[in-house]
Amino acid sequence: MTAPLIEIAGLSKRFDLRVGAFGERSATVHALDDFTATVIEGETLSLVGESGCGKSTTGFCLLNLHRPTGGSVRYRGQEIAGLDEDAMRPLRRELQIVFQDPYSTLNPRMTIGEALAEPILFHGLATKADLPARVTRLLADVGLTPRFANRYPHELSGGQRQRVAIARALACEPRFIVCDEAISALDVSVQAQILNLLLDLQEKYGLTYLFIAHDLAVVRHISDRVGVMYLGRLAELAPAGALFSQPMHPYTRALLSAVPEPDPKSARSRQRLQGEVPSPLNPPQGCRFHTRCPIARDACRSAVPAWREVATGHHVACHAVSAPDKLNWEGTE
Amino acid sequence: MTAIAEDDRPSSLWRDAWKRLRRNRLAVIGLFIIAILVIVAAFGPWMSPYDFLSQNLDARNQPPSGLHWLGTDDLGRDVLSRLIYGARTAFLVAVGVTVAAVLIGVVLGAIAGFYGGAFDRFVMWFTDMTMSVPQLLLVVVINASLKQPISLWMEARYMETLNPIWRNSAIIDFVLVFGSMALITWPPYARLVRAQVLSVRGRPYVTAARALGLTNRIILMRYVLPNAMGPLIVAVSAGLGTAMVLESAFSFLGVGVTPPTPSWGNMISDGLRVWTNYPHLLLAPAAVLAVVTVAFNFLGDGLNDALNPKGQK
Amino acid sequence: MTALLDIRGLTIDIARDGGPARVVDGIDLAIQQGESVGIVGESGCGKSLTMLSLVGLLPNRIRATGGSAMFGGRDLLKLGPKELRKVRGSEIGFIFQDPMTSLNPVIRVGDQIAEALIWQKGLAKEAAQARAVELLELVGIPGPAERARAWPHELSGGMRQRVMIAMGLAGHPRLLIADEPTTALDVTIQAQIVDLVRELKDKMQMAVVWITHDLALIAGLADRIAVLYAGTVVEDAPVSAIFERPTHPYTRGLLASLPTLAGAAMERLPSIGGTPPEPGRRPPGCPFAPRCAHAVAACAEAVPRLAPVPGSDPRHRVACPVMTERAAA
Ligand SMILES: Nc1ncnc2c1ncn2[C@@H]1O[C@H](COP(=O)(O)OP(=O)(O)OP(=O)(O)O)[C@@H](O)[C@H]1O
Ligand SMILES: Nc1ncnc2c1ncn2[C@@H]1O[C@H](COP(=O)(O)OP(=O)(O)OP(=O)(O)O)[C@@H](O)[C@H]1O
Ligand code: SF4
Ligand SMILES: [Mg+2]
Ligand SMILES: [Mg+2]
Repeated sequence: MTAPLIEIAGLSKRFDLRVGAFGERSATVHALDDFTATVIEGETLSLVGESGCGKSTTGFCLLNLHRPTGGSVRYRGQEIAGLDEDAMRPLRRELQIVFQDPYSTLNPRMTIGEALAEPILFHGLATKADLPARVTRLLADVGLTPRFANRYPHELSGGQRQRVAIARALACEPRFIVCDEAISALDVSVQAQILNLLLDLQEKYGLTYLFIAHDLAVVRHISDRVGVMYLGRLAELAPAGALFSQPMHPYTRALLSAVPEPDPKSARSRQRLQGEVPSPLNPPQGCRFHTRCPIARDACRSAVPAWREVATGHHVACHAVSAPDKLNWEGTE
Repeated sequence: MTAIAEDDRPSSLWRDAWKRLRRNRLAVIGLFIIAILVIVAAFGPWMSPYDFLSQNLDARNQPPSGLHWLGTDDLGRDVLSRLIYGARTAFLVAVGVTVAAVLIGVVLGAIAGFYGGAFDRFVMWFTDMTMSVPQLLLVVVINASLKQPISLWMEARYMETLNPIWRNSAIIDFVLVFGSMALITWPPYARLVRAQVLSVRGRPYVTAARALGLTNRIILMRYVLPNAMGPLIVAVSAGLGTAMVLESAFSFLGVGVTPPTPSWGNMISDGLRVWTNYPHLLLAPAAVLAVVTVAFNFLGDGLNDALNPKGQK
Repeated sequence: MTALLDIRGLTIDIARDGGPARVVDGIDLAIQQGESVGIVGESGCGKSLTMLSLVGLLPNRIRATGGSAMFGGRDLLKLGPKELRKVRGSEIGFIFQDPMTSLNPVIRVGDQIAEALIWQKGLAKEAAQARAVELLELVGIPGPAERARAWPHELSGGMRQRVMIAMGLAGHPRLLIADEPTTALDVTIQAQIVDLVRELKDKMQMAVVWITHDLALIAGLADRIAVLYAGTVVEDAPVSAIFERPTHPYTRGLLASLPTLAGAAMERLPSIGGTPPEPGRRPPGCPFAPRCAHAVAACAEAVPRLAPVPGSDPRHRVACPVMTERAAA
């Protein structure tokens, strides 16, 4: 179970924009920079991080839905970064994504049934005769009754649409799914049902997930490993247990301390990150976190911290961390 | 108590649009007039009081009367009957021209917008070219250069087959008029479709279709085009009216449907020559044309609102 | 004190070919000035439609067919489109659930916010644009001046959501209705937004209705929580009472499904079995009865009404006779 499914090396993505009152200046969004990680077959790798830090961009670039600006993505040894659409198509069925915004990714002129049937028929995953049963089964898996097959996306509630998006990805019988905030619009009971479904499928078919989420309790629950991103870069990547029990990067620690508890009494006292939030249009030099890091030093402002493995499988990019359990310096400044 | 709805038939966007359209009074009026036009065009020959060709030289240029409700023309033909028969011409021209123009426009615009690249640049250049040539000039040139060869060719076919259909000048007329008018009216459709396709192409559901591994052809036909068609429908409705006016303009210049086949255009152009003495010969066809054109525009506007529910609120 | 918003017996029907189907079935909910109420409930139970009905934005073929919603002396359900347009934005700020589809894809986000300001506050164009940038900054979007010129598709999901929040707050409304406004926001930004809303709430006496599935988040924001199930309020109580004494079996099921940071990984979470009844196919009696472990024969007969829970906070009400009886015993 330790064979790499996807090897990502130095993946980066920049978007060029026009800014200024008349669009006279150009600017570059550094959405993703030098992302290096390996996705192991059959695991759940989660990505967490601040809104806008490049999680969705990572998912899009992995699947070549955005053409990466640089770096490589190898799926089972085959380079796929920058493949053209025709070359990519045979792989698409195996590599699926549940998009963050389900409503806009459903064709408004297709019923839910048609939307689910499309990939099934196209990829020959069921015969015409088996199709209704297959669609019904998919809908049932995500907790929807067969009658939803006749509805249009605009006739569904937010959570129902999100479940349709999940069902559509599952319809392809993929090997790898990017779940981009795939359960964020679901109530906790349905959420539990979907998480259980994902775990069942993983057990049965060895599915691999890249799970993008902001709900850290869910992440903790479902992940084998967790990557923490900050402003387009990976800050920390570790087995889930280690990350939550022994966070090392200052950003991870700040993030974990901000987790609200489902308890009205404890909720009111939370630590906030201070300092200016930098923009990916103009990311800081050196460590990208230094503008808000409580223990930043001069070195942090000039040099990009190296991506180091400080304990088995525990990678951190921070000047202050070179061994578990110990900071090279304390936050005195 | 909760009502039990057994029937969960999907509500389509079109059905909702139809509901909204029905609430729009002008659009309903437009639709009503167009319906009359269609009926008249279909059943005209059985409805008209006289044969449109039968001349009655004793009763020329008569004003409206009990016998001839809209009077007669300079050959003593019943104006109402000619108008009724003209509806058929007008309808045929409008539909034929628009269908042809829309087909050209959709195919070129969709492919150009979806695939982009060199083909797109070529299509856009071609569109600009066509639009920059004065329309009437183009039609006159097409007519002048093609009428002769086509007639000769048809005459030759007649000699070969002796089938009278080859001597029917109306066919030449229609082919020429349809063809040349379609050739000058497609560019706006192509532009519209291209612009729509360009904007729909970037929608997330198209990316999602790509992520499913679907082929470009399926994505274009099932995801892009259906969502790009709304504005086209509006344009087509208005375009039908425009095509009728255009046909009249051509008849006026003598390059439209040739007499004696009645068309509102050639009736207007005939009427214009004598309108100081016999105004009814001009007013009757002009009024009908105006009413029908306005009806198409009402319907077009109504469709526009009905298909854009958000804009209404 | 009369409530700022007082919803009584609200019913909403969907017109279908076979006759209307009832989605929202008699909701009672009162919100005081400056109060914040969290709405939780199962997916598809009618939360969004209830809120949309208040501002006259129900989709086609869906209508509020009964009840009233008094707001500042007027019944929102009876207002005409013109009056509703005035209420929206300037008196009631609305944050929609689907940011991507609620934003106009062909207008830059700064201009969209500015447009709302010009319309609601009568600001001049420049002033509105400057204010739009301020609002973007307020919701924590870095580089707000540049981002104001971005198209919606150029923003991340969470940024779009914050644009929606900025638009909802733009008119300084007396009531903010937020429909799952933070589903794409990480915990630090969530905390920032919650702080911002709480500040406005304290400073301007803004009332807040916050629909969410994030029980942890709502624990820190709301004074009161209303739990919806199949178009009715099944439990309504102060926040602490909900977490300390969840009473309705559905509420209990929800809380039991919550994964926690301390919990064991990779285990199956308990979820409430079965599926909720669809609009138009609801059973007579308690809508939760078919899925309820505590159901007795009587549950399938009469629709339970909200009643105080003996021994709990006086404002704690629940629509389950079985559980109220048990609490009394
Ligand atoms: N336009 C529509 N036509 C028909 N049914 C609809 C329409 N919009 C919503 N519904 C149905 O009405 C019910 C309530 O929808 P609503 O959007 O209010 O749910 P919700 O409580 O907001 O759920 P979620 O948490 O998933 O967003 C759902 O079952 C949905 O399927
Ligand atoms: N098409 C695009 N054009 C320009 N900039 C873009 C585009 N897509 C994303 N970006 C920018 O790239 C950065 C990363 O965006 P991304 O969507 O990956 O964030 P994210 O981590 O998924 O955030 P969220 O949690 O809010 O969804 C953001 O600053 C965003 O504005
Ligand atoms: S490298 Fe420096 S600034 Fe960056 S996180 Fe570590 S200590 Fe903080
Ligand atoms: Mg995202
Ligand atoms: Mg909703």
